[in-house]
Order: sequence, then C-alpha cells, then structure tokens
Amino acid sequence: MASLSTDVLVIGGGATGTGVAWDAALRGYDVVLVDRFDLAEGTSGRFHGLLHSGGRYAVKDPNAAKECIHENRILRNVAADCIEDVGGFFVTTPFDDPAYADKFAKGCRDTDVDCEEIDPAVALREEPLLNPGISRVFRVPDGNIDVWKTVWAMARGAQQRGARILPYHAVVAIHRTGDVVNGARVRGLGTGDEIDIEARVTVNAAGAWAGQVADMAGIEGVRVLPGRGIMIAMNHRLVNTCVNRCTMPGDGDIIVPMRTVCIIGTTDEHTDDPDDHHVPPSEVDQMLDDGEKLVPSFRQARALRVWTGVRPLFEDAKASDTQTRDVTRAHALLDHAQRDGVDGFVTITGGKLTTFRLMAEDTMTAVSRHLGDERPCLTKTEPLPGSEDRATYMLGERLERKEKNLVDEQIICECELVPRWKLEESIRRRATTNLDDIRRLLRLAMGPCQGGFCIYRAAGILHGLDGLSAEQTDHSLVDLLEERWKGTWPILYGDQLRQARLDEWMFQGVLDVEHLPAVAAQEVPA
Amino acid sequence: MRGELHYDAVVIGAGTAGLTAGARLAEGGARVCVVAKGVGSTHLAPATIDVLGYTPARVASPAAALEELAALRPDHPYALLGGETVAESLRWFRAAVESGPSMPGYRYVGDLDRNHLLPTAVGALRPSALVPETMAGGDMATDAPASVCIVGSRSLRDFHAGLCAANLGRAGIEARAVDIEIEVTRADENTVGMARRFDDPAWRADFAARLALKLGAEERIGMPAMLGARDPHGAWADLEQRLGRAVFEIPTLPPSVPGMRLFEILRSALRRAGGRLILGPEVVSYERSGSRIVSVATASAGHDAHYAAPWFVLASGGFGSGAIELDSRWATHERVLGLPLRGLPDAGEPRFVGDYLAEQPMARVGVAVDGELRAEGAENVLVAGAGLPGAVPWREGSGEGIALASGSHAARFVLAHSGAHAGAAA
Repeated sequence: MASLSTDVLVIGGGATGTGVAWDAALRGYDVVLVDRFDLAEGTSGRFHGLLHSGGRYAVKDPNAAKECIHENRILRNVAADCIEDVGGFFVTTPFDDPAYADKFAKGCRDTDVDCEEIDPAVALREEPLLNPGISRVFRVPDGNIDVWKTVWAMARGAQQRGARILPYHAVVAIHRTGDVVNGARVRGLGTGDEIDIEARVTVNAAGAWAGQVADMAGIEGVRVLPGRGIMIAMNHRLVNTCVNRCTMPGDGDIIVPMRTVCIIGTTDEHTDDPDDHHVPPSEVDQMLDDGEKLVPSFRQARALRVWTGVRPLFEDAKASDTQTRDVTRAHALLDHAQRDGVDGFVTITGGKLTTFRLMAEDTMTAVSRHLGDERPCLTKTEPLPGSEDRATYMLGERLERKEKNLVDEQIICECELVPRWKLEESIRRRATTNLDDIRRLLRLAMGPCQGGFCIYRAAGILHGLDGLSAEQTDHSLVDLLEERWKGTWPILYGDQLRQARLDEWMFQGVLDVEHLPAVAAQEVPA
Repeated sequence: MRGELHYDAVVIGAGTAGLTAGARLAEGGARVCVVAKGVGSTHLAPATIDVLGYTPARVASPAAALEELAALRPDHPYALLGGETVAESLRWFRAAVESGPSMPGYRYVGDLDRNHLLPTAVGALRPSALVPETMAGGDMATDAPASVCIVGSRSLRDFHAGLCAANLGRAGIEARAVDIEIEVTRADENTVGMARRFDDPAWRADFAARLALKLGAEERIGMPAMLGARDPHGAWADLEQRLGRAVFEIPTLPPSVPGMRLFEILRSALRRAGGRLILGPEVVSYERSGSRIVSVATASAGHDAHYAAPWFVLASGGFGSGAIELDSRWATHERVLGLPLRGLPDAGEPRFVGDYLAEQPMARVGVAVDGELRAEGAENVLVAGAGLPGAVPWREGSGEGIALASGSHAARFVLAHSGAHAGAAA
C-alpha cells in the first residue's frame, strides 16, 4: 500500500478545506488534502454564489455581519479574479414589513457594513425588471464569487508550494493510537487503490459530513444539522445587481447575478442526510412565486436548472431540530484535545462561504499551535494564483477574448464561450476523464442549452487526447448528460422544455447515445 | 374582412408533415397555403426517413413491427393510420425526391421491409428505413460489414471521427479515423459552410487528392453529412469516383445539411404543384364558429394577415416547436388553435422522471384526435406530425414515418371531403 507522510492532513475539499490547505501551504507546512469527490462538489459548489456584504445578517446576527464585511473586503483583494463586483440592493417590496428598513440601516451602521440608501427610482433605472412597487432601497457591497475558480486557485497555489491535492479519495479509516489521531487511510474512487497518510495533525473540514468523519475518529457528539436549500438558475441575468429583500432572512429572498445566469435562493429544510439532493416540487413553486415578488416577470423567464445544497449548521443548545435557519451561521472550531482529550485532530464546520478564509485562518492558527511553532497567517494579503493584479472579474472578459479571436479560436460551448484550447488545457492539467470535472472548472454545459451542443464536442475532444478509450469516453458523455438532466427535469417548463426536447432530439435522435455499446451494457442488470 | 385570403386548405407548420400535407393537397388540385413561423425540424434532423427503429428492441423490419406496435398501442398514430398509408406515403416521398428538379440525381433508397443501420456521429448504429443514397453506403445491417475509414477535420467541431470510429470498432466493425485539414475562414464554421466547399469541383478534387494519400485498404469512407449543398449527388458521386470506393455521409449536430436538402425537396414539391409557402409570420389568433375553425391570423410587419379555409391541417409540432406549451404553473396548452390535449400524466403524477434515458411521462402528449386524426372539438382540423399524441418519435425512431404518413393522410382526407376536389383526389 502506498503511504504518505505530512504535517497536516485536510479531510474535505470544499472552500474551507481547500482554504486550510492554502493557508497551511503559505505558512510553510507540508499538507495533503483529500475529498471523496471533486473539489467543491459538496456544499461549496451548491450555493447561489453570493459574496455577502453582511447586510443579510446586520439585524439578526451582528457578529456574522461583521465577519462577512471583513472577509468581503479581504477576498476582493486576494481572490479578485474569482469575484464580480456586481454590488447589492436591499429592497423593501410591498410584501415586506416597512419598519424593517430602519432597523436594517441601523444594523449596517452598527456592524460596519457599507450601506447607502438610494432613491427607488434610481434603483429601478439600474434594474428595470425589479418590482416597481419597491419603497426603499439600500446599496451594499455584495458581490458574486465563482467558488470553483476560487477553490482551484487555492489548490493550485498550495500545490505550487508542495501540497498534494487528492480529489476522489474517500477516507475509509481514521488512524488513532490511544488518544492521538495520526492520519487516515483513503481509497481512490474508481481505482480502489488505498493510501495510508500519516499526519501530525488531521483537520476534519468535511462540512455537513463532519459528524460522519468525527465518528470515524471515535469522537462523539459532533452534531452537524444539515439544512437543505434549493436554488434555481434562470437563463439570463434578470438583474445585474444582487437583490435581497429588506426583511428578516427568509426563503427565496435573494437573486444573485452569476456569470451568464442569475440564481434565486433559497429554502431551508432540516434533513437527516447531507447527501439528500431531492427537489420537492412545492419548493420549486415557492421559489418561483418568491421570484415574482422581486421581479414580476420571473415566471416568464426560462428556468435552467435547480439544485440543492446542504448547509453545515453546527448545533447549539438553543436550536430546535426543525428550524435550521435559527441555528448560528457562525463557524465552530473544535479542538478535540481540549474537548475530548484526543490529540492531533481538529474539526472545523458551520460558517458560510463568505467566511471560508477566516475559518481556514482560525483552523490553521490552532493547528500551528499544535505543531509547536505558531507561524503567521498570510492569506489576508497573498493573492490567489490568477488574482495577482487585484482586478475583479468582468462579465465581458470571455466575450472580449472571443471577439478578438473570431478567426482562430474554435468555441466548444457557445453559452459559456469556452474555447477549444482552454478545454484541452484543462483536461490535460486536471488529468481527468470526467467531463463533469471540466464543467466545474470552465462552466462548460452550464448555460441555456445545458450541454446540448457542447457535450458531444467535448466528448470527441476528450477522446482525441491521450488515447482515452471509447468506453471511458462514452461513460463520461452519458454521465454528464445524466448529471445535466438531474438538475433540469424538476423545473422543465416553457422554453426550457423546448430546449430539453432539442437536446433529447440530438442525443437520443441524431446521435442515438442510448444505444452505444457501453451504455447498453451498463443498462442490462447483471 | 380586410386582407383575408381564401384557400381550400391552410396548413400550419413547414416541417416534414406540413410540407407533405401541403404538397399532396396541391397535387390533388386544392388551393393550399402553408404558413409557418419558421422551418420545422428538418434542419435539426438527420433527414433519414425513420419509420420504426425501436420497440424498444431494435427493429429489423419496420413492416412487421408496425403491425405489432399497432396491436399493442391502439392510440399510436401508426395504429390510426395503418400500414398501407405508411407504405403509400413512402412511395410518394421517393417519387417526389426523384422527380424534383432542384437536386439532380439525389435520391432516397430503402423500404419498409428492412431497416438500415447507419453510424451516428458518436459511432452508435441507428436504424432507419429510407435513407439518402449518400448515406446508404454506411449500412452496417449486413453479416460482414466492410471496413470503414471515418474522415473528420479538426476544423469542424461538430464531428469527431476518432470517437465515431472507436465506437464502431466496439460494435465489431473494422474502423479507423483520419483527420484532414480543411482551411476555414472562421474557426466556428459548421457543416453548412463546409457543404458549400464541396459544391466546388476544383476544391473537391483537391480534397479528394489529399484524402487519398491518407487512406489505407478500407472499403468505405464515412464523412460528416456535408457533401454538397446545391448538388449533393454530384459531389458524392464525384468523391466516390475519385476515391475509388464507397463514400457515405454521417449526420451530425445541427444545422443539418441533409435536412436542408429534405426541406428543399418538399418545398419544391409544394411549389411545383402550385401551393404557396409563407415562412416567417406566426399564427397568433384564430376565428372559430361552433365546432369549426374559420380562419387563422398571422402577425407580420405592418398588418395582420387572415387565412380563411374550409380545412386546416395543424402540423405545428409538439413541445419541441413550442406549439404545445407547459407553463410555469404546470398547465399545458395547444398554443395555435387552443385545442384539447391528450396523454397528460394524471394530476399529482410526475411529469418527468430522473432517469435521463427512461421514457418521460410527458413524452406522449399531443393534440386529442379521433380515428381520422381530426382534432377533438374542431371537425375541420386534421392533425399531422409531432403534434399527434401517443408516440415518442426520437426514442422509437418514428418521427419522419409519422410525419409523412399523417401529412399524406390529412391531404387525402381533406381532398376526399371537399366536394370541389373529390375528383382530383381519386
């Protein structure tokens, strides 16, 4: 069996875990990161993309608001290329209690969240599709953040400093000798190969799955209460500003413009299983109705895709099992030496995407203490690879590139303007045969046609590189089709149903992928 | 009424079903107008005439399988139409192709007795009854298929020869891929742009000479379906002659060059017979009197146009074209004439299911019709094509068969029931 030895083993490749690996690498530690699936495939990759200004928590959770605005300012600097500075509005719609607006303004002042009240007429000029009945509007520094880009930039930065990043490696056992955790055994998905990783400190950054990992270490009582929420992506940017309802946080009260689409979120239902991804039809209807309150033509727009994410809410004494929104959004760092008398093991969970860097910093500060040399944190100032010029992402970047290269640059995904060279480079760099990995890296197949045109092209190119077999290519192609369908079928209506029919027509009619040998073989029960 | 145009029959929709109905009505002597907001599925489809490919087992002989399907599914369009209507419509179609002046020599081959098995662009084998001669060389429904060389070009993103050949190899066919450079003026060029090059004899000669250098002992050459837009038969035959072996086209991503040829063939049949085609304006309203549709109106620049007729053929398609809509509150509508639908899942039942390759509960929704394919509640409206309920064309491989047969049936029914033209129909 292969074995590795390291200072820090991080379990969990979400924003927090990858942030820990990046922080550890910057402090000069040797680090190994493992995740059972791809990086940011769990909670991190399943949110609406909002980089909080803190406004949302200004009244209800002032500490969370302060953390958000603090981190917001740092990330705009160090992760600039992953962030689009779209700004945010908090709007009082006819459905909201008008008294909240003054509380909101005061809350923002008290928590240092930049907030400026503007004339609703000005807001409507900027966002003409907004509900014309809005009575008050506050401008805040919300943004959007491309989490896959962020996570992979951190992973690359860590790798450049010697870190080993192992996606698709699930922990099968945590090694514990007496009261000391000294690493874990992981198994490669697909390969089945096992690796023993010996670590001076093991960080459990498994988010909503942190309780399961703690159980494996024989540590009891780490209860993470999964709160499941659905999000729906609409086919274009109905708004170019993050729009929040100016009210106590509730369901369906945020629309985030994200790259070529906009995303409405979210619901909050308790679930027992963090891998529960089902989409209740009633929540879809609720989300569309909520969308209408902010943008009255919402139901006429095309809904592209729906997905669910599971918040890792760490339970505190005040929370009941069913009202997950009231459980603290603050993160929880558990030093198991203090808590349980088990050395070499730290759990970080709870929190929110916007504060992932802070969570990583707190974690590594504790880990550094364990390692005995208390090295300083550098993530506040060190830019991620790609963000060295500190310029935030502009939506038109890909289009500008394309316009300059009309003749030479073959586009594979028109919706997201992914050129062929970029696809080939990403396949090589990731050394992956999984088109879904490439989707997360490049947003391939994430636009209005949901892969109708690009999936065949990408499969053909994937096959052409490095002698991939037809079987593997076919699996990758069909897997991505199924992955796309998973998020499509619960919200198929209107023009998106037409689109889905066209896609079906191409894949099942023109290409007949259903009757490829590999797929046929897979369908036959043993 | 100002601007009202009178016809013997108005056909709504210009896909295979609508153009077939229009052409056959015109051939029968009716004054006919086909109105459509745009071209139909021809430009998306492989342009093979798929009658029945899967039931769900792969069908070797559509003639036999049609009878079984009709017995099994009495609500299927084929059960209502009957095998003879299907067979007759195929005969008509072959004749229409061969008598068309627009593309000399271009023809379809095959019949109801046997399906071809044609390679798709991903290298699966797709059954089809009647296929363009330019594709027939790819038929793998033989005991010992001859070896093939699949030709692609890095310049064309919509066809991947390597994957196609590799999957054919897995199906036991000796296959190899070669890549040949095609100079493009723009990196995103599609098969339509490529097809124009193949119309040019000098360019074609150069292409063939360069390709010949890369060929081995393969007996057949498979290429993306782009061998000529104006004179495909000429381009194809010339390539076969220059390369000294069979050449066949493989349909790939839209826009479909062979589909555009198919559209041209049917449009030319309609026009030759004196029918009219109005492409662009969408039908936005209709006038009804009791159980009859009196006229439809289209919106176009400057004015609305009204089309009145004793008979209408609704060939506007299903969910794919937008003629049938599922709205965000999960209500379904037939958007052209407000007709009732059939085949909807019961209230509370799922509309779609999570298994991508499974049949979807909404798949068989269509306009409710009687045994003569007349719309329920509108006795002078015949329904043809993808708007019919009871079929799953892309899964069954039945789309063009249903379109041709139901378009033909609609024409025959109208001609037989409009007194003035009964003679012409006989």
